[in-house]
Amino acid sequence: MSEAGNSISLRADKLTKRFGGFYALKDFDMDVAKGDIHAVIGPNGAGKTTFFNLVTGMLPADSGRITFEDEAIDDPRPSRRTMRGIARTFQNIRLFGQMTVLENVMLGRHCRAYLSLWKALRNTVLHRPLGEAEEEREMRGHALEILDFLGLSDERHAKATDLSHGKQRKLELARALATDPRLLLLDEPAAGMNPHETEELDDVICSVRDRGITIILVEHDMNLVMGISDRVTVLNFGTKIAEGAPKEIQDDPTVIEAYLGEDVSL
Amino acid sequence: MLDGLLDGYTRSILIFTGIHIIAAYSFYVPFKTGQVSLGQAGFMAVGAYAAGILTVKFGLPFPVGLLVGGLVTAVIGVCVGFPALRIKGIYLLLLTLAFAEIVQVVILTWEYTGGAQGFQGIPFNKYTLEYVYVIVVLLIIFFARLERSSLGRAMDSIHEDEAAAEVMGIDVVRVKLLAFGLGAFIAGLAGVLFAHHTTYVDQVSFSILLGIEILMFAVVGGCTTYWGPAVGAAVLTLLPELLRTLRDFLELVPLSWTDFFPMNRIYDFMYEFLDFENEKRLIVYGVILILMMIVRPQGLITRDTLRPLQFLQQRTGHV
Repeated sequence: MSEAGNSISLRADKLTKRFGGFYALKDFDMDVAKGDIHAVIGPNGAGKTTFFNLVTGMLPADSGRITFEDEAIDDPRPSRRTMRGIARTFQNIRLFGQMTVLENVMLGRHCRAYLSLWKALRNTVLHRPLGEAEEEREMRGHALEILDFLGLSDERHAKATDLSHGKQRKLELARALATDPRLLLLDEPAAGMNPHETEELDDVICSVRDRGITIILVEHDMNLVMGISDRVTVLNFGTKIAEGAPKEIQDDPTVIEAYLGEDVSL
Repeated sequence: MLDGLLDGYTRSILIFTGIHIIAAYSFYVPFKTGQVSLGQAGFMAVGAYAAGILTVKFGLPFPVGLLVGGLVTAVIGVCVGFPALRIKGIYLLLLTLAFAEIVQVVILTWEYTGGAQGFQGIPFNKYTLEYVYVIVVLLIIFFARLERSSLGRAMDSIHEDEAAAEVMGIDVVRVKLLAFGLGAFIAGLAGVLFAHHTTYVDQVSFSILLGIEILMFAVVGGCTTYWGPAVGAAVLTLLPELLRTLRDFLELVPLSWTDFFPMNRIYDFMYEFLDFENEKRLIVYGVILILMMIVRPQGLITRDTLRPLQFLQQRTGHV
C-alpha cells in the first residue's frame, strides 16, 4: 500500500460467464482495495459464487480480465492462483473428511512448504527415519499457529467430519489461511451458524483483515455484512446494480427493491 | 541364502506371493490419487520385456535390467498418465485396459523379442526370492513414510476432492502424473522379477486377467491403508495353495465310505475341484470377491483394523 497505484488488490474487468444462454455474470467490473473487507451480496443465483469460481480459476471466464495486484492472472490452474496468493473457502463445506483437523490445515500449507514435487518425494524417500524433515516441521508449526488463532487447537486430532458445523466452517477458513493468502474469498462463512458463532466469526474475519489480508465476502447474513464491510457490491442477475459503503447500500432504493424486498428495513 | 531352508515349491509360492504384493502396490499408488488402473499388467510386461532385452540381447547383469526396466516403465507410465489426467472412473478404467491390450498386440507382433513364440531364454536369477522381499520391505517402508508425509496427504486430498485440492494449491496434474509414473515403475519391477524367475514370458503371462487380479488384490485387501494391498495379494495368492492341500485330507477318507454310488461321484468331483491350478483359482477369487463386496466392501484391512497396533507408530505426526 506504499504507492497510490498499488492500492488495488483485485480488479475484475468486464468479466462475463455464460452457461448456455444464461448469463451468470455479465460485464462485471469490480475493484477491491487492499486491506478492505469487500462484501458481495445479492439474491440466490445472482452470480456471486460464479464470480469466486472465475477468480480462483475453477471455471474459465468467457471474456473479461482479472488483475491481481496489478498483474493479470492468466494461468487457468487454480493451484497457480493459490500460489499467487488467492485463497477461498467453499459455501458447501469441502473439507477432506478422512483427514484430521491438523492434516487439513497442513495440506493447505503444502504449496508453501514444497515448491517442487521432487523435494516432497525426496523427503518422503530419503529423510532420516527418526525425526521429520524441516519442511514438515515448519508446516506443522504453522498449522498449529493457525489452529490456535482460530481456537481449534483442542480438536486438532479429531477427524474433520466429526466437528460441529460451525467448527467445520472455521476449519475451512484455517485451511485457506494456511496457504498464506493476500486475498481471501469467503463464500457464505456464516451459513448454518448460530448467532453466537456468527458473532465470533465477526471477530475472526476482522482479525484476519488486521493481519493484512484483503477479504471478499459473500454472505446472506446482513447484520454481519453491514457490520464489518468497508464496501459492498450488489449483484442481481449477473450484473452489478449498486456499489458503495454499507450505509449507502442500505439506503439505496434499487437495492432495497431488487434484493431485499420492499418492506424489509435494515 | 535361503537355499537350504526351502524346497522348490515353497520357494516358488513365496516368490509369486512377493511379486503379487509388488504388483498390488503398483495399483495402490495411482489409486491413492483416485486413479483406478486395470493396466498394471501391461506395465509389468513393459518392464519384463525392457529388462529382458537388456539381459538377453546385450548380456547385461540382472540388477541393471531391474533398474532400467523399472525406469523405462515409469517413462511409459507418465506417457499413459497424460491422457489419463482428463478422465475419471470407468473411462480411465477403459483407457488403462486399452493400454494393456496395446501392449499385448505389440508383444505378439514384435519379432525381435520372439513375437507369438514368446520371449525365451531369459537368464534365471537365482536370488529372485531375496530381491522380491527386499523390494517388498522397501516398498512398505516407503508407503509408511508416504502416509505421514505431505506428499501422501496431497495424494489423499486428490482422492477425496480433486477440485478442492487444486484450490488449496496442490498441483493436481503433477501429483497425479507422479503417482501414475511411480505405480508404473513398481509394476515394471514386478515384471522384471517375474520374467527372470520364469525365464520365459509371452503375451499370456501379462494378460488382461492379470490386471484384473491385481485390482482384486488391492480391493480385497483394502486400499485405505498401505497394508491392504500386501495382505490382499498374500491372501489371494496363498489361498488356492492352501485349498489344494485340502486334497491331501480328502485322501485320508477311508475307501469304504465312498465306494458306493452317490458318494463316489461326490468324492471324484471334490478331488477334481480342489486342484486349484491357474484358471481354477479364479473361481475362488470370484467367490471371495462377491462375499467381500457384501460383507466388507472396504477391504480386509482398514484403519480401524490397525488401531490396536498403533503403539508401534507412536510418533505418527502427533504433536
